[in-house]
Amino acid sequence: MTSVLTRPTRERSSLTGILVKIVLLGIVDALAVFALFTLFMQQSWLVFGIALAVTLALNFIYLKPGLLPAKYLAPGIVFLAIFQIFVVLYSGYIAFTNYGDGHNSTKEDAVTAIIARSQERVPDSPAYGLTVLDQLGQVSFLVTDPDGEVFLGGQDRPLDEVTNAGTDGTGKADSLPGYTTLTFQDLISRQSEIASISVPLTDDPNDGALRTPDGSTAYLYTSTFVYDEQADTFTDTESGEVYTDGGNGSFVSADGTEIQPGWKIDVGFANFARAFGEEDIRGPLLGVVAWTFAFAILSVALTFALGLFLALVFNDWRMKGRRFYRVAIILPYAFPGFLSGLVWLGLFNQDFGFINQVLLFGADIPWLTHEWLAKASVLIVNLWLGFPYMFLICTGALQSIPDELTEAAKVDGARPWSVFRLIKFPLLLVSVAPLLIASFAYNFNNFNIIYMLTGGGPRNPEAGVDAGATDLLITLVYKVAFGSGTGRDYGLASAFAILIFIIVAVVSVIGFRQTKALEELN
Amino acid sequence: MKVKSRSILAVGAAAAVALLALAGCAPAGETPEQGTGTLTVWVDADRAAVLKDVAAQFKEDKGITVKLVTKDFGDIRDDFITQVPTGKGPDIIVGAHDWLGKLVQNGVVAPLELGDKAGDFQDVAITAMSFEGQTYGLPYSVENIALLRNVDLAPEAPATFDEAVAAGQALVAAGTATYPFLVGLDPNAADPYHLYPLQASFGAPVFGLDENGTYDASKLELGTPGGDAFAQFLATQGAAGVFNTNITGDIAKEEFNAGKSPFFLTGPWNVPAAAEAGINYAIDPIPTTGPDPATPFVGVQGFFISAKSENTLAANEFLVNYLGTEAVQTALYEVGGRAPALLSAFDAAKSNPDVAAFGEVGANGVPMPNVPAMDAVWADWGTTEVAIINNTGDPVTLWQAMVASIQSKIDAS
Amino acid sequence: MTAETLMTAETAPRVIPLKRKLTPGRWFRETGWRHVVGIVVVAFAVFPLLYVLSASLNPTGTLVGSNALFRSIDFSNYVDLFNLPQQPFAAWFMNSIVIGLVTAVGTVFLGALAAYAFSRMRFTGRRVGLLSLLLVQMFPQLLGVVAIFLLLSAIGDIFPILGLGSQLGLILVYLGGALGVNTYLMYGFFNTVPVSIDEAAKIDGASHAQIFFTIILRLVAPILAVVGLLSFVATMSEFVVASVVLQEPARQTLAVGLYTFVSQETSKNWTMFAAGAVLSAIPVMALFLYLQKYIVGGLTAGSVK
Repeated sequence: MTSVLTRPTRERSSLTGILVKIVLLGIVDALAVFALFTLFMQQSWLVFGIALAVTLALNFIYLKPGLLPAKYLAPGIVFLAIFQIFVVLYSGYIAFTNYGDGHNSTKEDAVTAIIARSQERVPDSPAYGLTVLDQLGQVSFLVTDPDGEVFLGGQDRPLDEVTNAGTDGTGKADSLPGYTTLTFQDLISRQSEIASISVPLTDDPNDGALRTPDGSTAYLYTSTFVYDEQADTFTDTESGEVYTDGGNGSFVSADGTEIQPGWKIDVGFANFARAFGEEDIRGPLLGVVAWTFAFAILSVALTFALGLFLALVFNDWRMKGRRFYRVAIILPYAFPGFLSGLVWLGLFNQDFGFINQVLLFGADIPWLTHEWLAKASVLIVNLWLGFPYMFLICTGALQSIPDELTEAAKVDGARPWSVFRLIKFPLLLVSVAPLLIASFAYNFNNFNIIYMLTGGGPRNPEAGVDAGATDLLITLVYKVAFGSGTGRDYGLASAFAILIFIIVAVVSVIGFRQTKALEELN
Repeated sequence: MKVKSRSILAVGAAAAVALLALAGCAPAGETPEQGTGTLTVWVDADRAAVLKDVAAQFKEDKGITVKLVTKDFGDIRDDFITQVPTGKGPDIIVGAHDWLGKLVQNGVVAPLELGDKAGDFQDVAITAMSFEGQTYGLPYSVENIALLRNVDLAPEAPATFDEAVAAGQALVAAGTATYPFLVGLDPNAADPYHLYPLQASFGAPVFGLDENGTYDASKLELGTPGGDAFAQFLATQGAAGVFNTNITGDIAKEEFNAGKSPFFLTGPWNVPAAAEAGINYAIDPIPTTGPDPATPFVGVQGFFISAKSENTLAANEFLVNYLGTEAVQTALYEVGGRAPALLSAFDAAKSNPDVAAFGEVGANGVPMPNVPAMDAVWADWGTTEVAIINNTGDPVTLWQAMVASIQSKIDAS
Repeated sequence: MTAETLMTAETAPRVIPLKRKLTPGRWFRETGWRHVVGIVVVAFAVFPLLYVLSASLNPTGTLVGSNALFRSIDFSNYVDLFNLPQQPFAAWFMNSIVIGLVTAVGTVFLGALAAYAFSRMRFTGRRVGLLSLLLVQMFPQLLGVVAIFLLLSAIGDIFPILGLGSQLGLILVYLGGALGVNTYLMYGFFNTVPVSIDEAAKIDGASHAQIFFTIILRLVAPILAVVGLLSFVATMSEFVVASVVLQEPARQTLAVGLYTFVSQETSKNWTMFAAGAVLSAIPVMALFLYLQKYIVGGLTAGSVK
């Protein structure tokens, strides 16, 4: 027994400690040096600088005596910084861009995409047999037209008839003296190059150009939009309309017509201005905010109350079968949430659900389609989903409360309720209060449960607003930012999300202050 | 305590070993080398089984590795849109034709030249895979709903919806059925997709067509007089209990399979279960509600190439000359039960009378609109249908409010 | 106080009251009513899941189509689960357990280190640090998946072993969440362990690392077990990040894999999904049963005084 915890001696501790420390730090440094080397070769200087700084900081922390807090915090913080802070910064940054459907990538990508989709095959034009040839690294198209005539051309080199081409059994030209015929493998290794080649049919660009999708057939295309790189404009070849970069991340004509796709640009605070001006949000705002707070607070209060109550009930060692009850209580937590959501949806069904049909003997209660009942139903399901979590953390936290304390109070004649209220509960609250705050924040933005059960409804279609009775701020924002004709507007959604975050953060900080007071009380 | 600490240590040690094991079998050096012949394809699980064989064949013939990534079908569209711009996205995805507008809007999909092969596919499949005059995908399946009839209860196929309901109600009155007519609806969103043929029969499509014969999002035609008539029809059927928003798709399926209704408006996906339940069924055209035929939406699935693929030739080869063959299209049909898009494979599949019957109904169907504006339509459309079926207001007023709301969302874009 | 006295305290038997015959009324007042509560709560907790179990045993049924539970008992869904070449359920199961356990151990370890620092040491930025941990997790990560995708593809360029498609990379992402609300839970528990224990050990010549690893960690075992379980459950059910990071079917987790059964509107296989969900709940149950003795196994930190 005592062998496990023999009195440690200073010598041994420092030796093993130093050994472990050196090995671990050595591994970290080896990885870091490798990463730094790779980053150096990639010339990603910013990341290189950050990685170097972190490596040096870690070595400093673990090699310098003292700095104890840093030694204990550093491992977690490294992970936190890479995988959470970065994600937060990225999400935050999006709020200042127009990122979303139609503004998805760089301008370069947008131009490429517009050029690609403006290539229209000339109606009723034939398919040309094609063999791709190479001469000193330059690619040429050897084209056999439907009449069996053979032409040669290349990028910016219009087709020219050739007569000395060799042909295969079907009459398709497949070789030309002085040129190497590219095999399929050659084509594949140079496919980007070959796919981008367009061979003009004649000297007149309006006759169109040959392109190949597969390296063995060529088709005649004309361009409905022509890109002028110098002027940075697209011109519609039919109407002559010119589209210029309008500064909003897309090409627009004089009358305001946009070409899709656009590209992602920084828009400053424009999304925030839109967020404040959004009529669909401002109208139902008060009601939705009130319900969001009510939902978040009630969800936390109900799950915590039930979880704590059960933790106390089953924390009595005299009770038989505690293990069974505990496991059964954890069950809702162990199943996929959306599956449970669907089951509840079925249980609440007005005409067929178990609750109306069996529990209430064929009642006709519109659980999910009546304004107030829907709110209650959502809370019930959320209670079901959430109480096992609260039960678990309360059970864990209760173990920190010494039995002696409560025994002593009982001996002093305190009634169980007073023991709980005056001793257990305040002690418990110290460790779980921050979790209640976190749970509040989570439920404030609990998009999934609303989406799954009611979709925000029931909603009055005549009211002219999208907000339904169970819509939380986050689901309303989702509808506004993702439901319009343009599709998903991540920039606007992120701006809303940051505004919501500010609300939640302020509430949380206030709550946190309270727990600080609690802590000092003890 | 000794025991406890040991077992805690054991868990820790086990975890460490597991970590090492994971590290050992991690995909070392599996970075896809661009342009050297590795095609990355995102498929859903059902399709992956078939594509595995095709990929092996492709590797053998062309020396190009096809890396199949099994994704959840519902995630493919959005992940594709976000990942293509990073340059790390896949070369090819499987998808539904109604994603196309969104993919084009985001510039992530490359046009596909089918050449003369276009004529080998069902017309509706090629139309569905086209957007603003350009073809983008290789279709592999065509799917639509029809009327599933319990022959034992209703020996005759109804021509009109009124006939169907009358026949159904007679059975209900006689006590041999519980529901005159079944269609799965959602309590919050009804089901505009399943109700669409009944709406189309009143002459109220969603969008008008442009000169190319594809949908024109600027011509919203929901609000035509036919739309008002359809709204009144919904209210009437809702009041009569024929449409009930509490009868979800699952319940409708269950009740039809229990022989409790003569009619079920549904797709081929629910037929195997009905057959297994021993229902003597027939597949009929959808009964009309108004002057026009009740044309269902046709859903087409296919394969798309990424706009930023660096393997365009190989991708094109794989799609057109491998996935576009009769053998593969038939194999895809066999695994998913969806009628093939390739005509030769479709004709072969028609030896199954169910496929032939659904195909006949789909022959005069229209592709589900693939314009991006559809996103704005679905939500309002469904909520309004719920409100009308439950008679929470004047049907025409509700319908027109919906049209105004959809119009304003489209205009905002 | 020395380590020896500590051990004595730990092994000291509970004060068990003398056995006496309980009258039914007394029995009910003391533990009987707890069973009533238990039965009611178990009914509430388990009832909706019976639908899942019933569906999993019904080869053709729907998830919620009917109130008639357990009309057929047929294990074919369970058998089929293990015979699908494209949906390797057994592999998902193992992946989930391994990833879940590694993440749980890592989370507990990183979290405990941080909680110890916050609880035992006073340094500038301590209060702010604690608060930030809370707030960082509240930030709406609308585009979190996109950011993680970019991040992992960049990391994969340096260390292919950690890039996209790697389970190890996924674990690292999960460990990014190790410091968070769970740290608070541990922090609160650490605070209840008397500082006098640390000081006594220090006098005995133990280094801070020894105090932490050999003494403190044992005293806070209940909360370590709770946090480990919470982390395991969270990892088991995490879907969004896993679906983007893991690409090959054989490497995916249960949450991602199972979803493929029902993600297509027209070919949902609810019964198979239900069977998978039932099986996927087993590891969570098993871990909870195993950890219960640490969570409520008698000894509490506070009794060491």
